[in-house]
Amino acid sequence: MKAFRATPLLMIIPSLLLAMFIIGYPIIDLAYTSMQQVSRFGQLRGFNGMANFAEVFSDPLFYASLIRTGIWTVAVVGGTLILSLPIAMILNDEFYGRGMARVIIMLPWALSLTMTAVVWRWALNGRAGLLNASLMGMGISHEPIEWLATAPVAFTTEILIGILVSIPFTTTIFLGGLSSLPQDAYEASMVDGATRWKQFRFLTLPLMRPFINIAIVLNVIYVFNSLPIIWVMTEGGPANGTDILVTYLYKLAFRFGQLGKASAISLIMFGVLFVFIIIYVIMVMRNEDDGGAAGEAAE
Amino acid sequence: MSNKLVRSIVYWLLLSPLVIVILFPFAVMFVTAVRPRDELFTFPPSWFFSEFRWDNFVDMWTKVNFGGALLNSLYVSVAATVLALVFSIPAAYALSRYRFRGKGLYRNFLLMTQMMSPIVLVLGLFRLMVAFGLVNNLNSLVITYAAFNMAFTIWMLQSYFNTIPRELEEAAWMDGATHLRSLIRIFLPLAVPAIAVTAIFIFINSWNEFVLALTMLRNNNDFTLPVQIFSQVAGRYQIEWHHVMAATVLATVPVAIVFSWLQRYLIRGMALGAVK
Repeated sequence: MKAFRATPLLMIIPSLLLAMFIIGYPIIDLAYTSMQQVSRFGQLRGFNGMANFAEVFSDPLFYASLIRTGIWTVAVVGGTLILSLPIAMILNDEFYGRGMARVIIMLPWALSLTMTAVVWRWALNGRAGLLNASLMGMGISHEPIEWLATAPVAFTTEILIGILVSIPFTTTIFLGGLSSLPQDAYEASMVDGATRWKQFRFLTLPLMRPFINIAIVLNVIYVFNSLPIIWVMTEGGPANGTDILVTYLYKLAFRFGQLGKASAISLIMFGVLFVFIIIYVIMVMRNEDDGGAAGEAAE
Repeated sequence: MSNKLVRSIVYWLLLSPLVIVILFPFAVMFVTAVRPRDELFTFPPSWFFSEFRWDNFVDMWTKVNFGGALLNSLYVSVAATVLALVFSIPAAYALSRYRFRGKGLYRNFLLMTQMMSPIVLVLGLFRLMVAFGLVNNLNSLVITYAAFNMAFTIWMLQSYFNTIPRELEEAAWMDGATHLRSLIRIFLPLAVPAIAVTAIFIFINSWNEFVLALTMLRNNNDFTLPVQIFSQVAGRYQIEWHHVMAATVLATVPVAIVFSWLQRYLIRGMALGAVK
């Protein structure tokens, strides 16, 4: 077939241009702004080198947010993975009501993060929240608990909700992985008298490794720059005690008008995000190569 | 007693804490939405209330300006979906049907933009929209949503397009049809189901988007539903929680049902085909 070579290029160029315009240009603009002195009203007042970055790196709130971002990401991704693998293994097995269980486990994915956070903010209300109603009704607590009034409790609660909303996506990845595991390996190990734990440890875990890796990378990308849960529930408060980098960045940019500093933080975050995106792209490509090689070997 | 029954009981017991935590917010949403206003802050807090107050939904509609926000959300989501499809369909077709130089590079570019998060760029995007005078304009969201959904859309469409046999188009070329003509007459009608499913996902993503809408829209009349509902909660001394929950029910439940129904198709477009 002799297709005119320009045709495919003409077909992809519009999408390239749109991405360059909406995703590429802001990155360049952020890089430029981060090295400018910026007025409260967003006017650029001239080049000031690394002054914005110096200001960021001497800001204790930046470090506090950075550390909290680390805790947030590790706790949410870690908690999600630890819960999702057993859940996926259960859902992959035959049992009564499995279809129902799958629908319920996937439900949090169907709600937007913003709405989930709004509902939880009310459910956790210290005075009249229905979580307190339930705990007091069951006799677990006798006083209403102020879930969002102190930073450590509020942040822990937000992490738990972060885990809850990340489970469906992660479980879906694992279900895809489990359904592709070779059944004969399990049958062979049964014949050899392997216990369930040994099967899990020496068969399931190693075979699931690529799926676990991709789940880690994708979740890190989604969680580390997720704003809605924290923003809606506590807006980074009380007293910046639940701020992570994105909420701190958002406040700096759109509340305090510190645009130079905010663009410096944006750029730093972009750098971190970019590293994870590259890891993701490499993982996807390596998987494609393996798949290709396996396909050729089969022929 | 059968093995399967025992297993089922054990599994449900293991899942039950999670099931309760997942269903809890839905219960909170419904119970609060139909509760009389003066029973919101009873002490001690309680699940029970005297009567179902369905009028909450009617009151909420005007008090929260739900209708206006609904129209804004519909406009933005539909327009962003159409725009994303216009840009994505040709690109997905090119990826599916042609070999060309830079194809690998383009695929990597897509993978990267797919993972790019609006929040990291939000300040740059805001400055861009200021420069174009598009702040306070719903079209700023239409363009950005289309751009951020494009990579996902192209992946998803490409994986479907690959399943449509190319012989049909080749036959049309033999008969002297131009590529464009065979694309429109032969290919697109076959691709309609795939395009519809993809369109629904772009629609839902746009419908749910929060950060960009919060940033670009400053005027109450322009708010989309998530921002409108958030504005009923943020920085207020008196929050009408029964209205907020009624609005949340209306804004989320229809979309959630559609999403749950189509979810199994979603994974295809998430570039996870690579690990299958």
